[in-house]
Amino acid sequence: MYSWKAQVIVMSEILWTEKYRPRKLDEIIDQEEVVARLKQFVRERNIPHLLFAGPPGTGKTTAALCLAYELYGDRWRDNVLELNASDERGIQTIRARVKEYARTVALGEVPFKLIILDEADNMTSDAQQALRRIMELYTATARFCLIANYPSKIIEPIQSRCAFFRFQPLKKEHVIERLRYIAQQEGVEVTEDGLEAIWEVSEGDMRRAINTLQAAAALGRVDADAVYRVVGRAKPKEVAEMLALALKGNFLEARRKLRELMINYGLSGVDIIKQVHREIMSPRSALKIPEDVKVELADLAGEIEFRMVEGADDEIQLSAFLAKLALIGRRLYKG
Amino acid sequence: MSARASLRLPWVEKYRPRRLADMVGNASAIREIVAWLKSWEKGIPEKRALLIYGPPGVGKTTLVHVLAREFGYELIEMNASDLRRAEDIRRIARAADIGSLFGSRGRIIFFDEVDGMSGTEDRGGLAEIMEVIKETRIPIILAANDPWDPRFRPLRDLCKMVRMDRPRPSDIVKLLRRICLAEGIKADPAALRVIAENAEGDIRSAINDLEAIAEGRKVITVDDVRHLAKRNRQHDAFATLKMLFSARRCDQAKAILSQSLLDYDMLLQWIHENLPYQYKDPEELAKAYEALSKADMYFGRIVKTQNWGLLSYALEMMTAGVAMARKRPYRFVKYQFPQRILLMAKTKEVRRLREEICRRIASKCHVSRKCANAEVLPFLRVIFEGNPKMAAGIAKWLDLSEDMIRFIVGDRRKAKEIVKYMRK
Repeated sequence: MYSWKAQVIVMSEILWTEKYRPRKLDEIIDQEEVVARLKQFVRERNIPHLLFAGPPGTGKTTAALCLAYELYGDRWRDNVLELNASDERGIQTIRARVKEYARTVALGEVPFKLIILDEADNMTSDAQQALRRIMELYTATARFCLIANYPSKIIEPIQSRCAFFRFQPLKKEHVIERLRYIAQQEGVEVTEDGLEAIWEVSEGDMRRAINTLQAAAALGRVDADAVYRVVGRAKPKEVAEMLALALKGNFLEARRKLRELMINYGLSGVDIIKQVHREIMSPRSALKIPEDVKVELADLAGEIEFRMVEGADDEIQLSAFLAKLALIGRRLYKG
Repeated sequence: MSARASLRLPWVEKYRPRRLADMVGNASAIREIVAWLKSWEKGIPEKRALLIYGPPGVGKTTLVHVLAREFGYELIEMNASDLRRAEDIRRIARAADIGSLFGSRGRIIFFDEVDGMSGTEDRGGLAEIMEVIKETRIPIILAANDPWDPRFRPLRDLCKMVRMDRPRPSDIVKLLRRICLAEGIKADPAALRVIAENAEGDIRSAINDLEAIAEGRKVITVDDVRHLAKRNRQHDAFATLKMLFSARRCDQAKAILSQSLLDYDMLLQWIHENLPYQYKDPEELAKAYEALSKADMYFGRIVKTQNWGLLSYALEMMTAGVAMARKRPYRFVKYQFPQRILLMAKTKEVRRLREEICRRIASKCHVSRKCANAEVLPFLRVIFEGNPKMAAGIAKWLDLSEDMIRFIVGDRRKAKEIVKYMRK
């Protein structure tokens, strides 16, 4: 019935996150309440504006796509516009592309088009204001599905125009079940501790879990060892090196690593501080930070992330963090 | 050969704007000024004089000359090299025939550098200029760097005030590119960017730098401009940093703001770069960075909320906050040019490649480019390094070029292997 089936057969090696992305609402795990309400909309062939909120990798985008497939069937490509607001967050895109798309009439039996705006919480407030007007003006021809990690960053007037769907964190046994299914389909050998390890490192994020599985499978048997090896290789080694250098008091070298991360790896300040946080708190970290100091550092990392959101220059904020680390390091290693 | 070289026009002169369209930056200020000048065609406007102000080298004088040429006015000019006593001003006004009801159309009086007028030698000059403005039936234009001295207050009330700002580096790059084209020079855009950033809005100095670098060259690379970055403004930056780091009181530290040519953003970068060289003691360093971090936060809030009232706090944290972190005596340090600016210029090609890969991932995987970079690309790297066969399938699916594959695996041989599988 859907064109995607042909795709799956032809493309044997694609990213498994896409290959095994559910195509039907019923295949989505752990969001029973959301799915039940969405299916009701499909039956009625009518939907309000939607706002999907929840942690990453819990099925928000997938649910939006499934809704589109089930509403429009084979004609979904003609009736769905998918935009990622992080990439096109300005008012120009909203005005030009969204408005242009929203004002034209839908093709097929469903009288409206669907506009999926992913990562909508990254839209500038100007763009959100423009969007609000468009939502009002073109309700007859277009419905919006906004997707966000942090719904509080969506302006109140938009929130109040949307039916709100909260996506729950996924349950461990369901994630593991899904991973096992994929491994079976792909003929990959997995061990129990391997699956446990994936669950642990992916923090409930299905995308990260499947990516980890595929990368580990690319190297051979998927056991805990392989999973930790993948995680070790997937994250830039410069993060741990930078922290070690700073703690040893070599600030200049630590800052050089920071610049490598920002410029060579193209990571944002928030990306980096999140990885730093993970490294600090990881029980397997080679840094061997005393437990009470871990808490102190996590607090510092939180403060710096907050300042980056408030501030203007990530490199200066992270350098300030490294300077504090050097000070703490002296205290640690002096005695 | 050398005789001819000495006759050659300096590029600053050769490429001085002849038409309004040649002007760099300040588009809205120029529109405002043109509108004021055009309003004279319909009669005497409310403000008979125009005061253009802004930092040196932004093109105030040039703009007035270009305007006169473009709109066919004769320019009667007085600048700081002229004596500007009351009687000199009056003489000029008579020559321009400012009061005539008929004959003087087509003239502009231009008082350049009015803030350079001396209280003793140009005695009475300022008062006379104001008299002339009240009487005039022809346009009068004044230019100044800093019109905010209290003695200019009555003058400010008489004038339409228009501010000209330092042009943005991107505007200066455009101009430099035009010059390179005319001179038959092939320049790496990143190199031009470094020259433009380094000039900090001073067009003259950007052109001079370009000319110096292009001497005897037909190709300019980032490496060629590296030395320049060390030379030019460096002197000012060195002096500024020395003054900052040796300051013992807050007011001494804050005084650098009025003495430096560097703008706040650039100054912040210079301080950031050099903090670890100046402060070797971890306690001093952490304290200074804490102040800089606060300064940056205030700057961020100013940008987001347009609350310029916060500026003084940002500047205090950036200067006094950093200086007061010092516990030990000041010691001499060899200061460095902010490395980030050079690094960004050098890595442009690689960053473009990464951006393009992320765009392709984003379009297939329903994620943003940022998410593709942070959440998908690292796993791709593991797969590409460890399993060329699986990598080939994914590379095909994502439509990656060989360059991109090599970027991901970071190894030419492995990239070749993947490409081989793709062909099968």
